Amino acid sequence: MTPASVISIDIGSTFTKGALFSLAPTRPSVIRRAACPTTPDNLTRGFSRVLAMLCELPADTPLHDIRPAAPVRISSSAKGGLAIAAIGLVPDLTLQLARLAAMSAGGKVVKSFAYTLTESDIAGLEHARPDIVLFCGGTDGGNTAYVIENAARLAASRFDGPIIYAGNRAAADRVAEILRPRPLTIVSNLMPEINVLNLEPVREKIREIFLQAIVAGKGLSEIVRRFETGVRPTPLGVYELMEAIPRVRPDWDNLCAVDLGGATTDFYSNTDSFGETDSVVLKGIREPRLKRTVEGDLGLRISAAALGESAADYFAGPLNEAGLREYVARLIEEPGHIAVTDCERNMDDIMAEACVYHAARRHAGSFRETYTPQGRVHIQTGKDLRRVRRVIGSGGYLASCKDNGIMRRAFRRLSETGPEVVLAPEDPVFYADADGLFPLLGNLAAIEPEVAVALALENLKPLEQEKTPC
Amino acid sequence: MQNPTIVLGVIGADCHSVGNKILEIFFSGEGFKVVNLGVMVSQSEFIDAAIETSASAILVSSLYGHGEIDCQGLRDRCIEKGLDSILLYVGGNLVVGKTPFDEVEEKFKEMGFDRVFPPDADLKQVAAFLQAEVQP
Repeated sequence: MTPASVISIDIGSTFTKGALFSLAPTRPSVIRRAACPTTPDNLTRGFSRVLAMLCELPADTPLHDIRPAAPVRISSSAKGGLAIAAIGLVPDLTLQLARLAAMSAGGKVVKSFAYTLTESDIAGLEHARPDIVLFCGGTDGGNTAYVIENAARLAASRFDGPIIYAGNRAAADRVAEILRPRPLTIVSNLMPEINVLNLEPVREKIREIFLQAIVAGKGLSEIVRRFETGVRPTPLGVYELMEAIPRVRPDWDNLCAVDLGGATTDFYSNTDSFGETDSVVLKGIREPRLKRTVEGDLGLRISAAALGESAADYFAGPLNEAGLREYVARLIEEPGHIAVTDCERNMDDIMAEACVYHAARRHAGSFRETYTPQGRVHIQTGKDLRRVRRVIGSGGYLASCKDNGIMRRAFRRLSETGPEVVLAPEDPVFYADADGLFPLLGNLAAIEPEVAVALALENLKPLEQEKTPC
Repeated sequence: MQNPTIVLGVIGADCHSVGNKILEIFFSGEGFKVVNLGVMVSQSEFIDAAIETSASAILVSSLYGHGEIDCQGLRDRCIEKGLDSILLYVGGNLVVGKTPFDEVEEKFKEMGFDRVFPPDADLKQVAAFLQAEVQP
């Protein structure tokens, strides 16, 4: 039976936010919202405060004294979220799919390795200490030599966390034998054949491992024990919400969302990846209809220094270089800093635009025109986003946009054509997740998709055209 | 015993797709596991696919006359990538003009191809060579 209401709480890296939702099928609504700063030393404290406020209790009520009347759904991206190392065989094939699968499961790819793992690769892996290693390589019945060799090298390493094997099934038994007694799970191959994608079993397993093994290390065990509920990686919920939106509301198909944060920029798309025509030849892997990418070098605060390097093109022009460097240095010292002066706000705007631009550019495919003896041909690589009609801005900064200026400028810049055309959305309508409900509704998307979608769309704020000064 | 895997494709900027589909159907019917990369396939795409699938042979087609340029260095790249003993077959209208076929054959064999076929090659014959030469 569907409960009448549900509490959803998301423990973010900076803020812990929650809401109490009414699930009345005719008119679902947000009954109450609450937020407080995340308490990284003990995540339970911030969580309890938010839960208490949602239950209309004093904020300092101890967790064991709170008896919520509604079921509680929890997600977390605190303590660095879900860090995954991806191992594949060929960089453009199994490694790329491993990365895609990891990101679609709500993870952040902290290391990627192709071919045989070298000693320095292993050292890098041990140093990065990912939460999960996703280990792939070979189509089914294809190459076994690399994965068997890599299994031996993993077995000899000091990495002792969970490993998911999603490579050539012909080598699976051997891999299991070599890696015993490590915490290894074997799922079906994520690339059983060239150009065939099978990401779902990997995603499902990552989610399961996050629930069972990782929450403890993230300081969430007390919460899990208290509520006998799982904790999901925040981006996984948003991914599921993005999946549910066109399913529940087909008129909202062809959709993108950008979640711009202090440390990362996430980009989601739900649209067909390739429209086959005679004059377009698709190269590289066939990308999935629903896709998430996450960029660890694009962010407004913790990643500000990395952004300065990755988006150097952006900073060269409109900003005084020295001023920006000073600002970035300050942001790294003080990730909680909120822009005060007009100049700082301006810098934040430009940084935000740079994040959106580069995240979209990496997420989207491209094509170039080429002339062959048989005439003109377009070669497409990656995903075609040109059918996308709507783009949603989420995360603190984009959620609070007053108009579509930042996102529109970033997307317009994408469509400035060079020899290579970026397959970005053409003139989409922009929305803001103004109340920050996406992560919270993401927690409901898998169980109550209709309600989650209705509430998500109802609370989106259409962004008006930016007023250009005359 | 598993069917031998072969990687198939039309190399370079060549978009002739009909013959490519026929080859796929034919070789599948002959009991090969065919990985068809389609048209406009680069050398590295052939090689990447051959590595992941542990293919026994790469069958390169070229119909538009620029095959010589497109195919140069394919054997070297295979060796660089660890595919030392993979079979390389090539066939089609490999060069522009009326060069005698034995000259064409010699040229492509020098480039490291194991077998070279003219446009009117008998596919049954090609399949027989392949069956005999693929590593078990």
